[in-house]
Amino acid sequence: MANLARVLGWVGVVAAFILAGAAHAQPVSSNQELIQQQQQRRSEQPGNNAPVWREIRSGQPQFNSVPGRESGVLIVSSGQTWRALRDGPIMRYGGWLLVAVVVAIALYFLLRGPIRLRGKPTGRMIERFGGFERFVHWSVAITFCIMAITGLVILFGKVVLLPLTGHVFLSWLAALSKYLHNFVALLFILSLIVTIITFMRDNLLQAADRKWIATAGGLLGGGEVPSGRFNAGEKGWFWIGVLILGIVVSITGLVLLFPNFDQTRETMQIANIVHAIAAVLFMALGLGHIYMGTIGMAGAYRSMRTGYVDETWAKEHHALWYEDIKSGKIQAKTEQSALGELQRQH
Amino acid sequence: MARMKFLCDAERCIACNGCVTACKNENEVPWGVNRRRVVTVNDGVPGAEKSISVACMHCSDAPCIAVCPVDCMYHTEQGVVLHDKDLCIGCGYCFYACPFGAPQFPQEGAFGLRGKMDKCTFCAGGPEADGSQAEFEKYGRNRLAEGKLPLCAEMCSTKALLAGDGDVIADIFRQRVTVRGKGSEVWGWGTAYGPPKGGQKPAPERSKP
Repeated sequence: MANLARVLGWVGVVAAFILAGAAHAQPVSSNQELIQQQQQRRSEQPGNNAPVWREIRSGQPQFNSVPGRESGVLIVSSGQTWRALRDGPIMRYGGWLLVAVVVAIALYFLLRGPIRLRGKPTGRMIERFGGFERFVHWSVAITFCIMAITGLVILFGKVVLLPLTGHVFLSWLAALSKYLHNFVALLFILSLIVTIITFMRDNLLQAADRKWIATAGGLLGGGEVPSGRFNAGEKGWFWIGVLILGIVVSITGLVLLFPNFDQTRETMQIANIVHAIAAVLFMALGLGHIYMGTIGMAGAYRSMRTGYVDETWAKEHHALWYEDIKSGKIQAKTEQSALGELQRQH
Repeated sequence: MARMKFLCDAERCIACNGCVTACKNENEVPWGVNRRRVVTVNDGVPGAEKSISVACMHCSDAPCIAVCPVDCMYHTEQGVVLHDKDLCIGCGYCFYACPFGAPQFPQEGAFGLRGKMDKCTFCAGGPEADGSQAEFEKYGRNRLAEGKLPLCAEMCSTKALLAGDGDVIADIFRQRVTVRGKGSEVWGWGTAYGPPKGGQKPAPERSKP
């Protein structure tokens, strides 16, 4: 089931099939060979129905007078695989991965503390994010958090919350989560697409990113490596997290969100597995991004809230970007702010 | 206590759909939902046609119970798999997991939004008080509480569909196979009740949620 090529091929097929709007189940085509075998068996070994059982096992839809998708299929075994993967590795490793990321971030914060400015703020402010960029960022950020929390309730609620809350509260919370997850999904996908378009240009890889990656952004010593508007860490989050995982989560999510396009159970099982794996990785990376954007680095949250950073902040964290602004290569708005308030913030 | 099971004898089923109709009528099943269906393999091909009636098989290690994110499904003392519609959120996970296609969802609102799951209850109702109006409206008749077996099997014209204590119906079937000397396959039992190992273990007992 986890055959990567097959899954990738399948994602493509699903994308095409969503665009087409309708895909039809395979026409009822009985396996001629098995029919002949069965007819032969009847004279040679009366009562041996093995070919019939094989045909049932093939998963081909048979004749059935009850209308409905796959109602002519007697038995589907892939549900067991889906169950084993979901209740097994995905919940176990996925759950512990998220716990491990939270613990690692907490330890790092306790031991090293937030990254503060070394120099004094100048009071000269440079615009880092325009109004539209901030609107797009917060749209995708808020919808991401709603999708993540509601998704966690549905995946881990039974294990984590049920012993604490009991059945009635969990059911209420899960129902709320299901509706939020289903409806906010569309807003999330829309803001995700606009985010990708808005931030793609400045996330293209540059020569300077190589050194940043080699020293893990200065984490391995040697101080912070000069970077452009976004450093390689932010670019990694953009390409791997927002772009790849975001699109995978969106496509598989749409397959599950609209079960009325005649997709089979197997399609939805694969979609659910891919969705869960991608979502857990997306959340794990997202935790890192949220940490750096809030308590991990002084001035980072302010930059996405107000749009402005101090010159010292720009010089220390994004030196190449700062030089480009100073040399006039990049046009950025500047502003003078009250120094006292700034020092309090940084 | 008896472990309730279904058994469909493929040598006897004539695809009359009497079981489907009996179930719909007795349980006043919601529109668009069929708790039982009859599938015909090689329909109209002489010498190769076989029919099987299938519904929830009330599995021992039920995948639907395992994957339900709100834990709304449970085994009764008789091994019947029931669910609590008041807790069900209509996520569809039981439908992904079930090998027999038993869980059904009435469409609620636009875009295939799922309502609360509905499936065969072995004519055993739900968690409400036995025989109560609330139980009937949500799950249909509780015939087991009245000392009766599921109506689909009771109405079966050729007695192809057997329902009841697994040991008893297995004995009936064994006798048939001995007499006719063929058709010994018990369809679906390996998947639903595990490999045969000389007398089935009773289903793990669980309290109602």
